[in-house]
Amino acid sequence: MSQRMFKADGLVLRTRPLGEADRLVTLLTGEEGKFEAVAKGARKMKSKLAAGVDIFSYGHYTFHRGKTWPVITSQDSIEQFTWFRDNPQLYPYGIYMGELVDRLVSGEEPCTSTFNLLLEGWRLLGSCDDSYIICRSFELKLAHLAGYSPHFHSCSACGTAGASKFSPRQGGMLCTHCASADVISIDKGTIAIVERLISAPLSQAHLIRLSAGQKKTLSRLTSAFLAYHLDLGDIKSRTLLKEYNT
Amino acid sequence: MAYPAPLKKLVDVLCRFPGVGPKSAQRLAFFLLRCPREEVVSIARAMVEAKDQLTFCPDCGSLAEKEACIYCNDSERDRLMVCVVQEPRDVLVLEKTGQYRGLYHVLHGALSPLDGVGPDELKLDRLVDRVKESGIQEIIIATNPNVEGDATAGYIAGLLRPLSIRVTRIAFGLPVGGDIEYADELTLSRALDGRREIT
Repeated sequence: MSQRMFKADGLVLRTRPLGEADRLVTLLTGEEGKFEAVAKGARKMKSKLAAGVDIFSYGHYTFHRGKTWPVITSQDSIEQFTWFRDNPQLYPYGIYMGELVDRLVSGEEPCTSTFNLLLEGWRLLGSCDDSYIICRSFELKLAHLAGYSPHFHSCSACGTAGASKFSPRQGGMLCTHCASADVISIDKGTIAIVERLISAPLSQAHLIRLSAGQKKTLSRLTSAFLAYHLDLGDIKSRTLLKEYNT
Repeated sequence: MAYPAPLKKLVDVLCRFPGVGPKSAQRLAFFLLRCPREEVVSIARAMVEAKDQLTFCPDCGSLAEKEACIYCNDSERDRLMVCVVQEPRDVLVLEKTGQYRGLYHVLHGALSPLDGVGPDELKLDRLVDRVKESGIQEIIIATNPNVEGDATAGYIAGLLRPLSIRVTRIAFGLPVGGDIEYADELTLSRALDGRREIT
């Protein structure tokens, strides 16, 4: 990003009001990574930028390097993910995925895989019925892209085969001898599901059917695994997501 | 720059206003220094009086001088219709149109999980109570036409669905005086959806 003017295709992760009528937009792009840019006058009704810099926008943006932040000089919408506006049940899922990515990607470094994962995740939420499983698969794939995947084949501490407890702290299974207090009991069926959620394309996650017990285990596992290994801090949108799911 | 201590304090205080940076704060501070003392006192008094005398209506959440606001106290208003807005200033903007004669309900925000604003932070319980208590027949949702506003509108519609009342959303469309050429696809498609016959 050394030129005075530059262009990028980006996803809007979040926005916040800036000054009288501007918006400060957090964008995720494949090649330039994550950065903030100013959309001048975007809160005014007649602004031509307004719709294209709202959260859940995917567009082609042109920037001019400003003193503090790049300034968005024009935008062309590619996709709008309108289902997040129209369906209040999908909104917290979309926000949650965006917040996870926002916390994980730290700055202006290329992150094409993460960008593509979020783009696919937001698209799938609009077309698949099972938002829950899409979201769990998204979490696991995001952790995988960051270099963390749960280890299921043997005890992470002593190497014994056939371990049945999962330790979020160890990032893998523990046998009964090595198990600590914070382990999660997990059966072979759920392990197979987790492995499939990581390896299969995100678009096939909705084909997996879960029992109520497996859902509960999967939620505990992904939440604890992400919290421990990705160190994302307090994910604010998780509260709303839980509220919508109860 | 070495300011005299009282000037520095004034600039720092003015910097707390939204949209006011150090340069603007400095300009405002020098304006106040140039003003006669009485004028500075009247500006300060107006701020304190507004803070002390204004409150929020316990019924609708609009700005009020006493317990109930002028809208809830106005017997001429249509009490079967309530317009839901995000902020008290939105009430003033809608009043300026002169088109709406119903009551209001101010949420004091919109659903924004990233800013820690969930349903509990909005005045939604009071809205449901009002609908149950006072025979309201229509709720017009006039939250901002952005993602947070739309999500809030959808949430309210779901909340009120069991109460079997009419819930409407203000129309979306092109701003008056604008050129279609510059309209974005989302606004245009919503304007097409909301088209109406010319009579």
